[in-house]
Order: sequence, then structure tokens, then C-alpha cells
Amino acid sequence: MLRLFFFEFYKLFRLRSVGLGLLFAFLLPFLWALAPGLKKVYGLVLASGWQVISLSLLAGMEFLFPFLVVMAASEALGSEVAQGTLKTLLLRPLPRSLLLLAKLFALLLYPFLLLSVSFLGGLLAGLPHGLGPFYGGTGLGEGGFAGTGLLPPGTALAELLRAHLLAGAVLLPLSALALLYGVLFLSTTAAALAAVATLLLMRLLVAFPALTPFLLTTYLDLHLRPQAAGLGLSLLLIYTLGFALLAALVFERKDL
Amino acid sequence: MEALRLEGLGKRYGRKPVLQGVSLSVRPGEVYALAGPNGSGKTTLIRLITGLAFPTEGRALLLGEDVHKSPKARRHLGALVEAPAAFYPYLTGRENLRMQAFLAGVREEGRIGEVLARLKLLSVADQKVGSYSLGQRQRLGLAAAILHRPKVLVLDEPTSGLDPEGVALVHGLLQELAQEGVAVLLSTHHLQEVSPYAHKVGILGGGRLLDEVALSGREVFRLEAHPPEGALALLKGLPQVASARLQGEAILFEGNPEAVLEALLKEGYRVKALHPERFDLLSYYQERVRHA
Repeated sequence: MLRLFFFEFYKLFRLRSVGLGLLFAFLLPFLWALAPGLKKVYGLVLASGWQVISLSLLAGMEFLFPFLVVMAASEALGSEVAQGTLKTLLLRPLPRSLLLLAKLFALLLYPFLLLSVSFLGGLLAGLPHGLGPFYGGTGLGEGGFAGTGLLPPGTALAELLRAHLLAGAVLLPLSALALLYGVLFLSTTAAALAAVATLLLMRLLVAFPALTPFLLTTYLDLHLRPQAAGLGLSLLLIYTLGFALLAALVFERKDL
Repeated sequence: MEALRLEGLGKRYGRKPVLQGVSLSVRPGEVYALAGPNGSGKTTLIRLITGLAFPTEGRALLLGEDVHKSPKARRHLGALVEAPAAFYPYLTGRENLRMQAFLAGVREEGRIGEVLARLKLLSVADQKVGSYSLGQRQRLGLAAAILHRPKVLVLDEPTSGLDPEGVALVHGLLQELAQEGVAVLLSTHHLQEVSPYAHKVGILGGGRLLDEVALSGREVFRLEAHPPEGALALLKGLPQVASARLQGEAILFEGNPEAVLEALLKEGYRVKALHPERFDLLSYYQERVRHA
């Protein structure tokens, strides 16, 4: 199982969407660090390198990171279908659910990898602004970017790590959802479109207040609201497991 | 026990049946060729046998194990289901086989070199598959199919994309494997290529198994008698004749030639010629499909 997982993880790096995703995640912080219009658009003057990291996370989580995660999960299965290697795998005497599980594990690690690369990019891009104590905030804690006074680097790092971990957790069900659509449609484009459309539709359900606490989309900004992590993480986990289970059930009897 | 047994296998998409009630069996050491026009259901049947698709009726058994109920049944199976065979283009031929060996539970590294040598691929084994020609990929597919010494080999158009040398190599290999006791089922449009060594030919048409022709131990005679229609009717009524059909002006029959000759002369037919004839599988196939 472990070797199968490593093989799936290796294959993940060969996907175009993953290569591009990691590149964009790394470059995005440099873009923000050099952006001349930050003050004009956001009223923000960068006071510390830590703010570059958080700014990249906030901007990326708006659309880019969820989209990259969905694309990778869709392509993980779609590319195997397109090049015919999925059939080759399924001809071997292994349960289909095991093969899918290995793929899912690799895909569930990808959001954390993506965010780690973004973090690293932010760290490097933020170096010119310094990574010492600063007056202001990370945008993720009390007082937003204005902060509440002097912020020691340890506190800034802790806030950023917590936010990145929560953001990674937010992206998990999106991976599982795209994989489910990948199994249903056996096509990269169809799976990615269906996953994005599902999220957009779910966002519209905000008009039904009774449903709101249970919607996946309600927790896409969990990294900004760590106080909601209790219910939020539980629901995200349930969504992830639910989508994964459905994908396994469908895959078990899927014609290829 | 049959190595491969299909019992009333069928597949429909919605209301449209693409395959209906196909039953056949292949014994160890037997070569079974599946023939049929495009769209007759050959590839669907192969997908069902290999467990890639699921039947809406019937079952497929590999050495007695239902391939759709137990994934482990596929440990007996070696298969090539696409032409050219699919591999990870960024891995070398050897690396692809190494991964396949791991998935199939083959632990001997030496076996990989052995199959590469058998398919004459050693010189390109350490090149990326992306740089392989179609023929090389197809041969690598066959190498992957026999890697774990399967007892049943199921191949969809195994000589597709191969040059004449490659075609001869594949047919030679299949004959060897059959002699080693492997049951081989292959789909093909090239009946003349497989007729020298295939034991049975199944003719598919319109999603049904129209006919099954046993080739081994088959003796066919060619008779020229006048009038042919009357002679054919007479032969069909003889208990010593297993089958008889018209081919042009002649009659091809299987049965006892002495008894046939005696009956024809007794009834006053003019016999111009009677001699053994090699069974013409292609003509038989064309006629069978046309009538279907």
C-alpha cells in the first residue's frame, strides 16, 4: 500500500496542473510583495515579511488555491483515463478501492504541499521587509493587518502556521469532490467543471439560512475564523470522507 | 477445468444491448480467436472478460473464479486491451514493467529482463516509453501481459501496429505459450494469421456469438458434382456428413468421402472431382457474417 501511495504521489508531480500550480503558488507572494497598488486598493502598507505570507494565503484562497486543488484532483484520474494507464492498473489483481485510496491519499496531501510552497515563496519574498517584530498584524489575528501593537515573530509564525493548516483542511473536501466527479465522468475537464460548478451552486444556497451552517462553502474561509474550527473541521472531514466513500462506491462498479 | 469460461455474458447500455448471451470456454493450452466485423462486440466482450466492464447478465470465470466478484481472480489473467498498449510515457520500459510486476506480485527482478528479451525489447528497455514506436509499445504491452506467468491470456488485436517481423514474433510467442499450457483468447481481423495455430474461432456478429468453429483435427473435402444443388441436398441428408455447404460451383463438406461418393453415384450424380481441402476459415467467416 505504501509503495502504491508513493507511486501515486510521484505521478501527481508529473501532472501539468500540479507543476503549474506549484509554480504559481511560489510566485504569487513575489507578485504581492512587489505590487505597487496595495495601499491604493487595500489601504495596506507592508510592514513585515510575515504580512507577505498572509497576503498570499488570503489572495490564493479566494479562488486560485481551490481551483488548483480541484484541477489536480480532476487530472489525477482524467489523465490516466486519457493515456489508457487506468485500464492497465485495473487489470492487476488489486481491489479498485485500494487503487483509488492510494490516489486519494496523494491528493489529500497536495493542498498542504501547495500551501507549503506558497508559505516558502512568501518567506523568501518577505525577506526584504524583514521577519522580526513589527507594529501591525498578520491579517489573520486580532486587529487584522493593523494589529494591536508590537507583534513578535513567534506569534506571527504561529498565526500563519495555524491559518495555513486550516486552509489545507478547507481544501481537502474539494480534492475529494473533484475525485468523485473524476470517477463519475472519467474526464479532467468535466470533473473540474462539475466541481467548480458545485461549489458555486453551494454558495448560492446561502439564501437558505437553515442550510448555511452545514454547507461546505460556509467554511471555505475557516483560516480566517479559527474560532469556528470545532464545527468547521468536523464538517469538512465529514464532507471529505463522504465524497471519498461515494467515489469508491462508484469506482467499484464503473465500466472502463 | 476450463481456464476461461463465459456463461451467458451480456451487456446493455440503457435499452440497447451490445452483447447478448455469449457462452464459450477455453481450455488450458487452447488458442481461441474471436473474429467479427467492427461493432460486433469483440472489444466489449474483452472488457467484460478482463473485468474492466461489468456485465448486465451472465458471468466470466477465470479458473472457476468470477472475475467481477473477486479482484484476486485477475492473478490468473494477462491482458492487452488497447492498441497500442498504454504505459506511463515518462518512465522507461523497464520501470513501467517494474511497476507492473509490483502490482502483480512478481518479486523476481530477473523476470523483467526475461520478458523484455523474449519480446526483443532489451535494447530500448532503458529508454522512456514516450520515445517508443507503436510497435515497440505493443510488444511492451505483451511483455507486461506475460510478466506474471498468467494462466489465461486475453488480447485485443495483439498484432495491431506491428511490422511483419513483430507479427511473426507475437504469433510465435502465443503458440509457445499455448504449448506451455496457457489458455489464449485473442480478437483479430487477421484470420489467416491465426488459423494455422488457433484451435477454435468464435464468430461474433450483432453482439451475439454466431458460430464457433473448431479448427484442430478438422478435415474438409471439396466436391464438384452436377447438379450441385441436388448433390448438396443429398449430402445434408447423409448421416456420415457432419456439415456441407456450397462454395461457388463446388460443395465443401466434412464427413466420410467414401460414403458420399457411393451415395452420389447411386443416385446418378455426375462427380467431376473429390479431394481433401484445407479449411478456408476466411471464406467460411465471410459467408457466416454475410448470412447473419
